Amino acid sequence: MWSYIIRRLVAIPVMLLILSFVLFLLIFILPGDAAFSIVAGIAESRNLDGFREQLGLDRPWYVQYFDWLGGIFQGDLGTSLTPPHEPVQRSIAERLPNTIEIGLLTLVLSALISVPVGIISAVRRNTVLDYILRTGTILGISVPNFWTGTLIILYGIVLFDWNPIPPEYVSFTEDPIKNLSIVIFPAIVLAYAGAAYTARIVRSSMLEVFYSDHVRTARAKGLRERVVVSRHVFRSALIPVLTVIGLQLGGILGGAVVAEQIFAIPGIGLLTLERLFARDYPVILMTVMIFATMFMFITLLVDILYTTVDPRIRY
Amino acid sequence: MAQSVEPSREILLAQEYSIPSHQRFNPLRWARREPVGALGVILILLIAFGSGAAPILRTTDPQSLDSFTPHVLESPSSEFFFGTDRQGRDVWSSVLYGGRISLKIGVATVLVGTVGGTLLALIAGFLGGIVDFSFSRIADMVIAVPALLLALVIDVVLGDRLPSLPALPKEELARILAIALFFMPSAFRIMRGSVLEQRSAQYVEAATLIGAGQIRIMLRHILPNITGLVIVLTTISLPAAILTEATLSFLLGSNAPSWGAELSGDSRRFFQSAQWIAIFPGAALALTIFAFNIFGDSIRDTLDPRLRGRI
Repeated sequence: MWSYIIRRLVAIPVMLLILSFVLFLLIFILPGDAAFSIVAGIAESRNLDGFREQLGLDRPWYVQYFDWLGGIFQGDLGTSLTPPHEPVQRSIAERLPNTIEIGLLTLVLSALISVPVGIISAVRRNTVLDYILRTGTILGISVPNFWTGTLIILYGIVLFDWNPIPPEYVSFTEDPIKNLSIVIFPAIVLAYAGAAYTARIVRSSMLEVFYSDHVRTARAKGLRERVVVSRHVFRSALIPVLTVIGLQLGGILGGAVVAEQIFAIPGIGLLTLERLFARDYPVILMTVMIFATMFMFITLLVDILYTTVDPRIRY
Repeated sequence: MAQSVEPSREILLAQEYSIPSHQRFNPLRWARREPVGALGVILILLIAFGSGAAPILRTTDPQSLDSFTPHVLESPSSEFFFGTDRQGRDVWSSVLYGGRISLKIGVATVLVGTVGGTLLALIAGFLGGIVDFSFSRIADMVIAVPALLLALVIDVVLGDRLPSLPALPKEELARILAIALFFMPSAFRIMRGSVLEQRSAQYVEAATLIGAGQIRIMLRHILPNITGLVIVLTTISLPAAILTEATLSFLLGSNAPSWGAELSGDSRRFFQSAQWIAIFPGAALALTIFAFNIFGDSIRDTLDPRLRGRI
């Protein structure tokens, strides 16, 4: 077990290193050089050669890469190319907590909705209730999250004269209650899609277990149906559910870009999007790396959780 | 002498293994068994007809100059079925034309993604060793980055640099490649598992024994046996591809009329006074994804019920 965790922990930095190399090549080295896109993007300077020199893009690519990489090890994540030219670590440190908050809230909401819905749907299979819940979940995976978000804002204003986007963002440390009343909406939008997907998996993996021998034995020895469902069926059905929740985190992190954009939440998803328009590559490179790092650690966590859920799995 | 025996043996085998007529695929029977899937098919056909035949369905091409009329932000009427937007353009026309880009990019990305993933899986499964190892690690790495984020970055980076093809503007080509990259690693993973499973099957051993080459085994024996999974994977991935295209258009904009792009940018300021410009493109998008979802589910249940809950 420990040797497995250590191996995985070693693999993460190696994968990040390769990823950074590939992204770096893709962004800075591909023909049609970055300086040109950047100049076209921010229209700050028309002096292409001078700009290239200023960015250090006139140097050979390996010098550029190792320079950038060396900076990271010294805690220097680079400098933004857009006007205030802030150090990248400052913009990220300001915005990362907001994204993490939305992600966690989404995850909790999504689990709270999906598990009961999936269980009820499986226990009451092929009843009216099941059909209603299944229609709700299939709509959840079909309706785009940016449209749900748009409709919440639109009808909040039209019907209740209430705008879910406050004039300015309040962080959790400033005023927790006010902050939660802001971030709850992007979390609901992301959680609906995520929960719908998970609920479908909960339902189908529960149904698969329902007819297995150990469940029949449990019924035969006279256990109450509630105990059979919660202890025998649900526990066995948890493994695929855990996998899906783990995979979903990638969706939540990607969805953060959409939700932050719609609800004007200053997180790193919105940062990435804004800087993509400006072709501010040092910032984009770093935000992608951070998203990937979070995702890799969460995946590892899910893999470790498997052993708790299912004692048959050992590493 | 063997040559004179072989044809008759093949005919005998063909007779023995041909599917009896009552087991052949019958669309009507399928529709009765999978009514929800059949509803999906009908919706898909309607949507495809609507966007394909858009020019004859009382529309004005949203990309032509005629589309700008003095009727600004008018509510739905018999003249403008879905109302008009802030530039006086007919929303009905934008919705029908918008379907073209969704279907085109959706189908193209899924084909590139699943066909590419399957081919790579066959190569990895057969060559094994270092090829398999490196393909798998690359797939792991791509999967380790949140897919939408990667698609966003690839779309922007490639959009600046790709050349335009004759029938395909570079923005669309960049979008197709960005979204295909989204699917390829997971398609590769699923197909690789299936290829490895088939590889150890007895019929492969038998083919090897009678002297079939690697490529022949790969294409004539294994590929037909994993085709069902390829079809399921393709139909299941389609709604996700359409959703991703719409999301990228929503976030980054699009040159051609697109459902996602209709809901973003400046038009958001007019949603309160003209709700129809927010509702119709979004509803069209949701309906399309819904139709492909229910269709994909029934295809999966028909072709391989064991996959339920796995993909």
